[in-house]
Amino acid sequence: MADKAISYEELTPGYKFPPASYDLSVSLVSKYLEAVDGTGDGFVPPLAITALAIATMAGAIPLPPGNIAIHASQELEFFKLVPIGTTIECHIGVAQKIARGKMNMLILELAVFDQDKEKVQSGKTTIALST
Amino acid sequence: MLIDIQEGKALNPMVIHITQEKINLYAEASGDFNPIHIDESFAAKTPFGGTIAHGMLNLAHVSEMMTSAFGRSWLSGGKLRAKFKEPARPGDTLTINGRIDCVEQKNGISYANCTFECLNQKGETIVTGEAIVKVSSDER
Repeated sequence: MADKAISYEELTPGYKFPPASYDLSVSLVSKYLEAVDGTGDGFVPPLAITALAIATMAGAIPLPPGNIAIHASQELEFFKLVPIGTTIECHIGVAQKIARGKMNMLILELAVFDQDKEKVQSGKTTIALST
Repeated sequence: MLIDIQEGKALNPMVIHITQEKINLYAEASGDFNPIHIDESFAAKTPFGGTIAHGMLNLAHVSEMMTSAFGRSWLSGGKLRAKFKEPARPGDTLTINGRIDCVEQKNGISYANCTFECLNQKGETIVTGEAIVKVSSDER
């Protein structure tokens, strides 16, 4: 997913990162449930899906040197149950880019689809870059 | 529906203990290996002075609380908005509280509007936000 060819300066509203696909396997979901003390009932916890989308973002954003990315806020909406074994595709784009003094913020939109091209969740992530 | 949908009803709180092992496990499960979460020597040189938990790890427990309260209605029709106010660190004990603020009817469908907060052992707010769950009328 990482698109190292683009620099942070080149990230502008409307920019779309290349989509990333994940198989929501039993082992992946089990590991997630163990990490969050969760109890599964055959369906994938929606935030497990979001976590993969966020990690995709984290790997794709070319941070300016010396900056760290801090997750500032999150909006999410879930549309359907996602059974274990589903393959998802995460689509991420830049919605807004804000510069306030030394603080830079990126607002990213995410949309996740299953293998039937049905949207399973969407959201908005605000990331603050700090030195 | 796992709880009675009533305005003012408190959701069952969750208490979790944050450890570096738990953070590392979450990094592996999510694929988010940002060094601020897992590299203690890197994190020590940042303004945080040490590693911090992924915001999504903290939020995952909010979602678990919502799942515990609303079951599949949350998984298939939930909506949330969260702000990460302060970082959670290894050694912190977090308590997540939530309640149903109001129940609204729109086009024959009930929506439970909830608020939640995640506090650490010092009473500092780590995460705060709102969640909405679409609840079909026969589940009330």
